[in-house]
Amino acid sequence: MKKQTQRQGSRDPDSGRDGVRSGTACITRRTFLHKSLVAGAAVAGGSALNFFETFTAIDVANAAESFSFAWVSDTHLYPKTLNTRFVEKATRAFGEVQAMGSKFDFMIFGGDLAQLGDPVELQLGAELLKEVKVKKYFIPGEHDWYLDMGAQWNKMFGASPWKFDHKGVRLIGLNTVGYAPDYWSAKKLTPKERMGAMSALDGSMAGPWSGLGHDQLQWLQTALSDWDKSKPVIVFSHTPLYEYYPPWNFWVRDWREAQEILQPFKNVTNFHGHVHQPVYNEMGNMRFFAQLATSWPWPYPPQGVPALTKAMIRVDPGDPFDGVGWGQLGIASDRTDQQYKMWRKEVFATNEWDSGAGDNGNQVLRPRIADRVWPY
Amino acid sequence: MRTRKLRYAAALGGCVLGTVLVLGAQQAAAHKDPVDAQTLKMIEDQFTEQVIIGDKLFHGDGDEQKRLGVTLSKTGMACAMCHPFTADTHPHEFPKFQVQMSEFAALRDMINWCIEKPNEGVKIDPNSPAMKALEAYIYWSNTGSKLDPGRF
Repeated sequence: MKKQTQRQGSRDPDSGRDGVRSGTACITRRTFLHKSLVAGAAVAGGSALNFFETFTAIDVANAAESFSFAWVSDTHLYPKTLNTRFVEKATRAFGEVQAMGSKFDFMIFGGDLAQLGDPVELQLGAELLKEVKVKKYFIPGEHDWYLDMGAQWNKMFGASPWKFDHKGVRLIGLNTVGYAPDYWSAKKLTPKERMGAMSALDGSMAGPWSGLGHDQLQWLQTALSDWDKSKPVIVFSHTPLYEYYPPWNFWVRDWREAQEILQPFKNVTNFHGHVHQPVYNEMGNMRFFAQLATSWPWPYPPQGVPALTKAMIRVDPGDPFDGVGWGQLGIASDRTDQQYKMWRKEVFATNEWDSGAGDNGNQVLRPRIADRVWPY
Repeated sequence: MRTRKLRYAAALGGCVLGTVLVLGAQQAAAHKDPVDAQTLKMIEDQFTEQVIIGDKLFHGDGDEQKRLGVTLSKTGMACAMCHPFTADTHPHEFPKFQVQMSEFAALRDMINWCIEKPNEGVKIDPNSPAMKALEAYIYWSNTGSKLDPGRF
């Protein structure tokens, strides 16, 4: 796999490609801190809970008081009768969050609680989530949504977008999954078929489904209209607010409009799920932290990773607990800490041959073929 | 009487031999004939058909598994859930020593390992139509990848 030598997220005036900006990445103090601390790899401290903490620290925040919160997402629960592994891993994550509960002001659940949006799956998730006693905030994933267009999700976990202020930071939760262009009506898909088409990451039928939409962009504009431009803003989203890899919807299609709204603010941080892997990127005043899944890790996209990302280590597919976990985020007056609570000792590769992004140098991939055939 | 039997046997043998020679010659001629556009399309269609079947199996299609009599997963997991666009299947790196298996493995060995371990499915016959279709899809999807056998 190729390491991208350019930072993603804007139009390259030379190539005309979206999402890629020419030029060498500028090494700021932020970048230096990030790279050096990530390279520092594992830090002891979580061994009592049998995980290893890995810090990524960025001096982006300016919170009035420091605080920590937990992120769990992408549990992808099936009914317990079909798959117990995902249940075990979600249970472990929620148990660990609760064990450290006094440390956290709140927990974000970042979407894809269910695999196929089935009420049985969502109910199972709700039961498991009861383990966590701290205040919980929810944003949906596409797997939670397309069986009934979010009806059950909204009923159980509340509607999004939302916002609240906490210790000098404005926190915003977006719905980046509920505004797909209608790919089902013309094909007369049943709700199950609509969900099935959405559930394959590399499917083409649902198209560029991740987006905010006009109304939500307007809401975002209004939600920030009374906020001081020098104060920090944290945005939670299931999919990343930049163009990472559109064929797998590792983006929101209207990220330019979203960034235009966020651009006037001095410190903006986007924490997102969906990609099931550690990724870090910066664009102007914004930085982006991808979070782990509890269910399984995705491979890095064939085009590579943003230049500022240190890739995770290759994992063992024979060990269901490898390459997955949850996240602890810390906000202080001068920095943001990202800790990957991955259930293995080494999170990042030190050797090229061990890197999840380094072993694909000769790999060239084609999109799939079967879902191009009109099946209905 | 004995002579007549011998004549019948010789005639029968001659017929069989003649049939074999004629069919063999036709086969040889067909193989040596220039391939016309229609035949070429037939060959390509055969391949594409297998790729599509493999794609469906790779993405957990229940009907296709039933048709071919295979159970690739018992957990709801499908191959594509860890390998979108067949990423990280690396068919161009096989055969190689596969660490998880602790043995020198071909692609089809690794496919069966994935079916059995992460997917908790039922191993398939390495020469079965399902295996050939899965291989067809994985190789097709990696068209353009550079051969690099043995790579870790």
